[in-house]
Amino acid sequence: MLHPAAIAIATLILCLAAALAWIWGANWLLDRILPPRGTAISRNIRRAALIRPWLFLGPALLFLSAFLIYPALGTIWLSFHGPDGKAFTGLANHAWLWRDGAVRQAALNTGLWLLVVPAAATALGLVGAALTDTLRWGGLARILIFLPVAVSGAAAAVIWKFVLDFRPLGAPQTGLLNALVTWAGGTPQPWIAQPIVNTLFLMAIVVWTQTGFAMVILSAALRAVPGDTVEAARLDGATDLQVFLWIRVPQIRGPITAVWLAMTLVVLKVFDIVLALTNGQWNSNVLANLMFSWMFRGGGDFGRGAVLALALMALVLPILVATLQGGARTRKD
Amino acid sequence: MAGITGRRSRPILHLLLAAMVLLWTLPTLGLFVTSFRAGDAVRVSGWWTALAPATQSGMVRIAGDDTASGAVRSGSVLRPDQSGARITAFGVSSRDPDAFAAGQTAELPLGGQLTLHADGRYRLVTPDPAASGQRVFFAATMPPAFTFQNYFHVLSSEGLVGSLVNSALVAVPSTLLPLTLATFAAYALAWMRFPGRALLAVATVALMAVPLQMALIPVLRFYNFAGQALGLDTKSFLGIWLAHTGFGLPLAIHLLRAGMSAVPREIIEAARLDGASELRILIGIVLPLSLPVLAAFAVFQFLWTWNDIMVALVFLAPQEVLTARLVNLMGSRGGEWEVLAASTFVSLAVPLVVFFLFQRHVVRGAVAGIST
Amino acid sequence: MRAGRFARRIALLAWALPAAGALSAQELPFPPREDARFHWESLDHFAAAHDLKGQRLSIFGPWRGEDARLFQNVLAYFRAATGATVDYASAENYEQQIVIDTQAGSPPDIAILPQPGLIADLAARGMLAPLGDETRAWISGNYAAGNSWADLGTFKGPDGPPALYGFPYKIELKSLVWYVPETFADAGYTVPRTLEDLRTLTERIAADGGTPWCIGLGSGGATGWPATDWVEDLLLRSAPVETYDRWVTNRIPFTDPAVLAAVDAFGWFARTDRFVDGGRAAVATTDFRDSPAGLFAVPPRCYLHRQASFIASYFPKGAKLGRDVDFFYFPAPADGSLGQPVLGSGTLAVITRDSAPARAFIEFLKTPIAHEVWMAQTSFLTPHLGVNPDVYATAAARRQGDILLNATTFRFDGSDLMPGAIGTGAFWSGMVDYAGGAPAAEVALRIQKAWDDIQ
Repeated sequence: MLHPAAIAIATLILCLAAALAWIWGANWLLDRILPPRGTAISRNIRRAALIRPWLFLGPALLFLSAFLIYPALGTIWLSFHGPDGKAFTGLANHAWLWRDGAVRQAALNTGLWLLVVPAAATALGLVGAALTDTLRWGGLARILIFLPVAVSGAAAAVIWKFVLDFRPLGAPQTGLLNALVTWAGGTPQPWIAQPIVNTLFLMAIVVWTQTGFAMVILSAALRAVPGDTVEAARLDGATDLQVFLWIRVPQIRGPITAVWLAMTLVVLKVFDIVLALTNGQWNSNVLANLMFSWMFRGGGDFGRGAVLALALMALVLPILVATLQGGARTRKD
Repeated sequence: MAGITGRRSRPILHLLLAAMVLLWTLPTLGLFVTSFRAGDAVRVSGWWTALAPATQSGMVRIAGDDTASGAVRSGSVLRPDQSGARITAFGVSSRDPDAFAAGQTAELPLGGQLTLHADGRYRLVTPDPAASGQRVFFAATMPPAFTFQNYFHVLSSEGLVGSLVNSALVAVPSTLLPLTLATFAAYALAWMRFPGRALLAVATVALMAVPLQMALIPVLRFYNFAGQALGLDTKSFLGIWLAHTGFGLPLAIHLLRAGMSAVPREIIEAARLDGASELRILIGIVLPLSLPVLAAFAVFQFLWTWNDIMVALVFLAPQEVLTARLVNLMGSRGGEWEVLAASTFVSLAVPLVVFFLFQRHVVRGAVAGIST
Repeated sequence: MRAGRFARRIALLAWALPAAGALSAQELPFPPREDARFHWESLDHFAAAHDLKGQRLSIFGPWRGEDARLFQNVLAYFRAATGATVDYASAENYEQQIVIDTQAGSPPDIAILPQPGLIADLAARGMLAPLGDETRAWISGNYAAGNSWADLGTFKGPDGPPALYGFPYKIELKSLVWYVPETFADAGYTVPRTLEDLRTLTERIAADGGTPWCIGLGSGGATGWPATDWVEDLLLRSAPVETYDRWVTNRIPFTDPAVLAAVDAFGWFARTDRFVDGGRAAVATTDFRDSPAGLFAVPPRCYLHRQASFIASYFPKGAKLGRDVDFFYFPAPADGSLGQPVLGSGTLAVITRDSAPARAFIEFLKTPIAHEVWMAQTSFLTPHLGVNPDVYATAAARRQGDILLNATTFRFDGSDLMPGAIGTGAFWSGMVDYAGGAPAAEVALRIQKAWDDIQ
């Protein structure tokens, strides 16, 4: 009997071989049908140039259609249907979206997340990148700050329990934060059960897990900035901080945009940490978790799940477009 | 390479970075320390107290299992692994668990005496021991104690090793496949001229806004349909790879396109004039110059797929990957935080090793590749 | 993983041979025909009627960890009798997992679920196969209070009249209060016999400087559910059982005075700072699995803990039931007008993919052996009349069985009977809000609105 790992590796090699075979085979065939020589050479080259991009794009477009476009269209279709996805209900789900208090709460929180987390993670990542590139022990520091990137949502929930744990006044505290609070003479707080405070901590946990990633990418980008502009600015008498802020940072606007985008994507996907720590209780819900609840809790309501998914898309799209336009401007510079 | 500031303000920078490192490591350090502590200590004290001797209270039963009456019993209330502990106080009633100092003799409510010494030795004289034994409460100063028991327990009995292999079988192909497909697509978007190129690039990125939760059911339904037609299992490794590939492609294409665009135009124009085919330009010129971005995406995608639980729960049978097993442990072993801590650390090991291997690659590639 | 499956297959092959008794002893915790307390002939009859060699059965259930191991031991007898390969799986959020799997068209053959409300949803969508009138008659005739169990498993199908979809298997007793007998003795407290006594005891412990209760509502994604059990138990002790029945079907609104009174009766215990370990602030954030630890602390952090029979799995290692910790029936009011109500819950097996092995498994659950094997291990209660009560592993389990038998009223956990969006959603989060200080009327109004919203 073959070990499943062996089967998996064989399948993987097969998949990769198929992808390579496609790109070679299709290109070869195209060159065969429209050869860039002979009497019709210019017409052939022009036609081949129109077809070739689609050979390169083909497999990716196929995957995007099957795994993202088709489900997205399905989501729109489902949003007009009842819990079981069969009965047509018109705009009932959309109307519900606007009047439901829990949705409003989750939308507000998600908006806050989308504003705060990518900004905080990118900014802290930039600071971390600058500091670790400057100082001699930066290599070690970079590794330590990156460590939480490897932490899954489930693991982060375990880790932060030891920070946020609450024991009543008088009992020995097992949570680090409450231990500090009592040490300073304060009253221990159930952080997780306090509205706003819990959202801040949830966001802090995600920033904590993502900063290392931003830092590593931005650090690589900073190192690639050509030294001549920096030297020129320095000769003009600019301070080091000024050089960093006005010369080096603008030159890595592209990578910053990419990191920001990645962080937005992470926030969009974040729901496991919310599910594990509060499950949206105490006003800490986010749209992704609310959608998961509506879709799969207690039998599931696909119509409302779908309409929540659309709301989430509507929140994220402007951010995506804005970031992309920023990125495009950078490239033109 | 020049840093942010000159030598004068260095101490502040050191302080700043030290504070950042402290903030970023302290929570994990807590978990790390906890994974080496005994369970009863984890529940009554914070992990930071583990390094200093701690006062701990406990309860043991003496002579619950033997029926001899009028006997004198002696022994120790401490386990062999607690030999360094010192008893400070003891009691025979839960109302007053520290009524007597070590070395004193307590009168038992049902008759008889109990003497307990600081080193844990006791002497119990009772004419008629209760059937359930005599409960002895004590407070003891325990020396710092660490154990590998949690790790032995996790690695031997919780089936974590099998899940580790499964997680790797999910994460590695789910990284390589989108990387391959995105390389072709990104090259087309970066360096080929065709109508609709800009629109396609924007549309690809816009797909990142599709929430995965919504995509899972339609895709699984499709698998189910295809699986029945072809006689394949609906839930398989191939299925989850293809799903991760689809979900990871927008970011992959976006990152790789940005990276490939940075290749100087002159190089590519020159190669085209030499009559090199597009495929040759991609493999011979663009790919080697964009290695850092490839590495960056690979690290990102690997971590994502390794840490993912939602896609794994839908496309694989439950409990097969590490994250799912961890969440299950949280449910079935709630309260046993030391076991959870050890499992969590096992789950962290692989991504960390992968990062260390790739980090050098990412950085070296970035410096060498982009500055060419 | 594959190696394990392979080993299982070898073990199975060995079982299929008639003379493999020696090997089977390793596979089966209780060797067939050795212990005369068991009804072995029922297994023989079942084996003779079902040959499923080479077929597969996949089962999805709520049991993980220790419980999963015990259930695997039960399954071993099914494997041995039929020759089928059985895969059992579970997941932390199994109630979501089963929705995903059925909706996606990749369900297991059998699902075992503790929430009738969820099963009702699945049945209404045509995801389940009816078990048939014969099985319905069997439950009526062979379970104690059989008709009520058959009704519990009966739901409306996608179209047409209601039919039996769920087979009740494994019951949990919820009306239990846990305490440490010796700690009670040290303090001079006695086990209360009436609800009034329980309240007096609560006040007396607090007056003596102790903390009476440990209450923890935390449960990850399901935070809040322990409070729903409290409210249900207290409603059964403050209003006629008809009120309870109307409440779970929403024929009286959540804002009914009787319901509000039950919620506030819970508040008397949980929202009085000196009555709960850690004060009211700790109630909603303490994990229900960590909560009983207070009973065993030195000195005790609390004296009483109300929780279902399964909580014994979360007591400290080595704690012996009956010696280190014990339980008493959550007492009823003294005047006796409401009798001795008992709140319970249980799991129901449903067929999510109709097949011969799935049908055979339901037949297997009718054999006394399927119940006795788990009874003999621990933590299993059953209303099956054909089993031998002597098989119960512990005196504690037998006493829990007695509470079940002495009940004048047995009611299933209300939150499990309500529609999923209420019973595993709005009710849970509403109770978290209530524990946090929101008034009962406000919380009830919010839950009722959510209920109106899905009707």
